[in-house]
Amino acid sequence: MRPILLSGHERALTQIKYNPDGDLLFSVSKDQQICVWYSHNGERLGTYKGHQGAIWTVDVDPTSTFIASGSADNTIRLWEIKTGRCLKTWDFPTAVKRVEFSEDGRQLLGVTEKRMGHLGTIVVLDVILEVDAEQSDERALTIVCDESKATVAGWSYLNKYIIAGHEDGSVSQYDAKTGELLDNVPVHELNMQVTDLQWSPDRTYFITASKDKTARLMAARDLEPLKTYVTDTPLNSACITPKKDYVILGGGQAAMDVTTTAARQGKFEARFYHKIFEDEIGRVRGHFGPLNTVAADPTGKGYASGGEDGYVRIHHFDKGYFDFKYEVERERERENRL
Amino acid sequence: MASKNRDWADDDEGDDVAVELPPPQTIQNKDGTKTTITYRYNENGQKVKTTRRIRLVTHREVVNPRVAERKTWKKFGLSEKDGAGPQMDTTSVGENIIFRLSTNWRKDTKEEAKDPNANAMKEKLKDKTVKCRICNGEHFTARCPYKDTMAPVGAEGGSADVAAGMGDEPAPNAAGAAGAGKKGSYVPPALRGDRGAAGGERMGGGKYGSERDDLATLRVTNVSEMAEEQELRDMFERFGRVTRVFLAKDRETGLAKGFAFISFADRSDAVKACNKMDGYGFKHLILRVEFAKKAA
Repeated sequence: MRPILLSGHERALTQIKYNPDGDLLFSVSKDQQICVWYSHNGERLGTYKGHQGAIWTVDVDPTSTFIASGSADNTIRLWEIKTGRCLKTWDFPTAVKRVEFSEDGRQLLGVTEKRMGHLGTIVVLDVILEVDAEQSDERALTIVCDESKATVAGWSYLNKYIIAGHEDGSVSQYDAKTGELLDNVPVHELNMQVTDLQWSPDRTYFITASKDKTARLMAARDLEPLKTYVTDTPLNSACITPKKDYVILGGGQAAMDVTTTAARQGKFEARFYHKIFEDEIGRVRGHFGPLNTVAADPTGKGYASGGEDGYVRIHHFDKGYFDFKYEVERERERENRL
Repeated sequence: MASKNRDWADDDEGDDVAVELPPPQTIQNKDGTKTTITYRYNENGQKVKTTRRIRLVTHREVVNPRVAERKTWKKFGLSEKDGAGPQMDTTSVGENIIFRLSTNWRKDTKEEAKDPNANAMKEKLKDKTVKCRICNGEHFTARCPYKDTMAPVGAEGGSADVAAGMGDEPAPNAAGAAGAGKKGSYVPPALRGDRGAAGGERMGGGKYGSERDDLATLRVTNVSEMAEEQELRDMFERFGRVTRVFLAKDRETGLAKGFAFISFADRSDAVKACNKMDGYGFKHLILRVEFAKKAA
């Protein structure tokens, strides 16, 4: 497997995202550029210029027409993918740490930081899926997180719930229509922040990554914990691979903590766990710093990782990846054939 | 396929270009391939015949039309002026990563991490135990804490083993001393007979063993005067287990005479060492390494 290295950013990556067809890869970093790449060969298609601060998050709409980005300059911006044009800027009192389009692309949620007397909020914006349409300034919904600020959030299946991960390690479920808090479950260790939340392809379950060195798979409907993946390093990101039943976890000792730990060799790796058996089945090394973000190609052919070292690495899986099966899986296949 | 090998010195360009080239040929092969033969002159004016066998395979791939459409998009932003294809400054290909999924990958990687040579050695020694010839402890004889104060256990019986083989360097001395009954005194070769017979089989490649393996012995010549046996041993130990190092020294001056013999436990190691070390620069001199000829 030969990774493609993308060196379009000058600072640490914060999020990378594939579009639904898996041919484009969007990357944002703490330098104020959004880059879009062709995932098959690593060619850069363009950059989106306009943000005045570190960009924390990016998301693609289901039709691959728009992207939304959230930044430390207290704005969410909507861009046209094809031309790099900024279509709309929404202003907020604090930095935006997470954006995500709903399943149909008509709504956009943003998670704002708790700072300067403002509480952390989750806002929902209506988006008109036309390039030249006048986007509304109005917030369709504002959820205030008064207990612990939300760090990540996402839309469940059919836009029924908004699931948010919090700084205190809990995960909550909100009604996406009314913004009512339906449930709050302490999933990760107390005060170990949830660093990432990514969905299964059908959005019925999701994976959370946390600083408590575990990743958890949970059902969106009732927040039932399904699986736990235990690692030996704080996690920054986790994703679920389509086609094969694996999860990819990324993490590593944060640079500021390196001096306080003894041997941290070999922790800057993407770890592959079997989604069902919870075993670690492989690692991919390559980054020189912690992995801040991992993303699985929706077509299942590869994955990409973005690190604190400023590089994005796109990997296309070899045949061995697709052929790997547990002995029990093989046995069952044999039985089914008979 | 240059027609002949010409010296670059008497090469004058465009001399015989005028000679006509045979026309290109295309032959349809039975197995569905095509062979084309073309002729041309290279920059040295030599005639070059190129034979290509071509198989045409139609590979059909279905591409999502949306994806195909996006591939035609114009670049923008910082990439606006970039040409088609990945740019060197933003995109590069990393080194190949061996990525194999396995339920016990942790064990696999640990094994891989180790040096294959060390692994081979380990394999060889797997079912052997180390036993000291002096105190029967689990260490090499050379490492024995009693090696200066005690004679080997059952030196005459010849029961001690050289299982691991290493550290048999001081062993002959110890055994020789035991044979003479007194430690450290000289034993003339004529009197070593009994010991030689007793110890012969236990030390196949021993220092004075009569049946030393000439097949795995290298003769090293052009060795510096300043060379030491230990240096040679260190150099050659890289290729495999060295059973004997003999460096000829001048009796008066103690300086090396310029040649040495190195015996390996394994002939394949000796071959490796011979290939690698021949021409190796050592203390300002170039070593010459060859297989020792059988003593007449």
